[in-house]
Amino acid sequence: MAQSGVSVTPECINAFNELKLGKDIKYIIYKISDDWKEIVVEETSKDGDWNSFRDKLLNAKSKDRKGKEGIGGRYAVFDVSYELESGEGTRSKITFIAWCPDDAPQYPRMMYSSSKEAIKRALNGLAADIQANDADDIEWESILNRVSKGR
Amino acid sequence: MNIPNPSTAPVPGEYAGDEVSAIVLDPGYWTTRAGFAGEDVPKSVCPSFYGQLDNDSGAQYLFGENAIHTPTGNLEIKNPWGADGIVEDWDTATKIWEYAITSRLTGAKAGDPAKNGLNDGTNANGDSMDVDIDALDNQEKPLEDSPLLVTEPGWNSAKAREKYIEIAMEEWGAPAFYLQKTGVLAAFASGKASGIIIDVGASHTSVTPVLDGMVLRKGVQKSPLAGNFVSNQTRLVFKQSQPEIPLTPHFMVKSKTPVDAGVPAQAMYKTFGVPPTDSFRRLEEERVLTEFKESVVEVWSGPGRLSNGNNEDISKAMPGRPFEMPDGWNQVFQGERFRPAEGLFDANAALQDADNPRPKDEHTIPRLVQQAVQHVDTDQRPLLLSNIVITGASTLLYKFNDRLSHEINQLYPSTKNRLVAPGTVVERKYAAWIGGSILASLGSFHQLWISRKEYEEHGPGIVEKRCR
Ligand SMILES: Nc1ncnc2c1ncn2[C@@H]1O[C@H](COP(=O)(O)OP(=O)(O)O)[C@@H](O)[C@H]1O
Ligand SMILES: [Mg+2]
Repeated sequence: MAQSGVSVTPECINAFNELKLGKDIKYIIYKISDDWKEIVVEETSKDGDWNSFRDKLLNAKSKDRKGKEGIGGRYAVFDVSYELESGEGTRSKITFIAWCPDDAPQYPRMMYSSSKEAIKRALNGLAADIQANDADDIEWESILNRVSKGR
Repeated sequence: MNIPNPSTAPVPGEYAGDEVSAIVLDPGYWTTRAGFAGEDVPKSVCPSFYGQLDNDSGAQYLFGENAIHTPTGNLEIKNPWGADGIVEDWDTATKIWEYAITSRLTGAKAGDPAKNGLNDGTNANGDSMDVDIDALDNQEKPLEDSPLLVTEPGWNSAKAREKYIEIAMEEWGAPAFYLQKTGVLAAFASGKASGIIIDVGASHTSVTPVLDGMVLRKGVQKSPLAGNFVSNQTRLVFKQSQPEIPLTPHFMVKSKTPVDAGVPAQAMYKTFGVPPTDSFRRLEEERVLTEFKESVVEVWSGPGRLSNGNNEDISKAMPGRPFEMPDGWNQVFQGERFRPAEGLFDANAALQDADNPRPKDEHTIPRLVQQAVQHVDTDQRPLLLSNIVITGASTLLYKFNDRLSHEINQLYPSTKNRLVAPGTVVERKYAAWIGGSILASLGSFHQLWISRKEYEEHGPGIVEKRCR
């Protein structure tokens, strides 16, 4: 359970398993529900285009507890594939992204950071985990850099 | 957990309907912060110092801003926190915290929860309160309607943690309890599940590595180089100045006439039948020193230390800042204003005398960061270094962040290091309280509270299991 007590709905795990096994889904965007009680699937996509995915994160909204809409956070899983330098083919890594923009209001910032552990723990088989707090952090170059490093 | 509270009965489909009137308590060495969960700032901010008057009938305790700042006979000023950053005098700490809660939140007795938060006619903890401890024991318990979330330092002992829940349950009658670490709350309040939290308060500086919301206990570092240290350094600047700069607290001054810079004050001073105690005077001096730290002291911004190359000459040529003592003595401070904070970063630069020995090198802030990072797996270090959260009122020292940033870049030239410093003073001072306020107001937080029933079944040891 997360430190916030926010729970993860089974559909989150189902979507993730589908991505993991089928390799048909390219990414999943999760959000915390509007009543701030559980993490749900906002969208799954078969389109692996990073930039359109990135735009979705940049435009994400959340309501604060008074119902006012503002910049929001999200969680996402993206099947990141990239060419190995030596021409040894491609590699793909299932990457978890906690998107918690620094310019979001206090409330969503708090909620997305304190609930992250719950969703991360529910998803078995993540190859990388990225904490992203501004637009630069989710540039393709930056992601690739972090994902392809080391293991 | 179900809290009978008709005024906040759940409204279907509306988030706010789930809120319970929980109270969040963030006790520090300098101040104790208390307020209702869900509010943006703590309604009650009280000094953590207390007054003790010994007379024939025993000891009398004084709490709150007005009571402890009025010179009264042989009033001694004390603080319940120990030198190790853990509460030492539990009985009095309990009373101070209780005062912070009851004076502004719940009323002296448990009130109607529907009226909680409405009894705020004043805007400061101005009311003095002589507390007769025996009489309090016979009163209703102050927190019978409110779950309580308390913050604790990352190095708290297991025994101290059990003490918190005992106080909440036994003394205050709280229906539910939770303990969370200040570092974790400050990280969350800044939107970080992982990061390094640098907290510079009054008695301690701490550096806390947090990974996915969990404190990496073995990496937690602490040192006494914090706000009190900077105050003491300022005292030495005054003492070693030629002529010595007189530090005169407000309570001593009856009236003053404006004087030119650097010349002796022309003031009328109060006289006292019983001279105020040293401890009283010291706290009053500390308030003047805090004003001085707020408005005059500047951290040498770097790169490099103040003692490097000709940095000292550069600092002396920088614009000065004026300061006026409560008795009218005033001066423009130039190079001296860079001295009090330099020791936070460079132990060699600390001013010394018999009472203020040279600080340990490993206690400076850069070294604390270094030691904390060493305890983290190599592959996690870049993540932590790109999320360095700055909190605590002493980080408001002018140019503190610039210097820290230079120091960290020098230690770790090959990672992308990033400081996250809340822009507003309120967020910087109260980050942990604000984080606690949001968590404790959540409907989903129900499952985390330790209920009274659970406490009664399992005893105080339950905190160790439930509040990691
Ligand atoms: N604007 C400021 N600039 C520098 N120091 C400050 C400022 N405001 C408060 N302080 C100092 O910060 C310390 C209190 O910090 P705080 O984080 O509130 O401590 P604690 O958690 O121990 O109660 C005191 O030493 C006080 O003198
Ligand atoms: Mg503190």
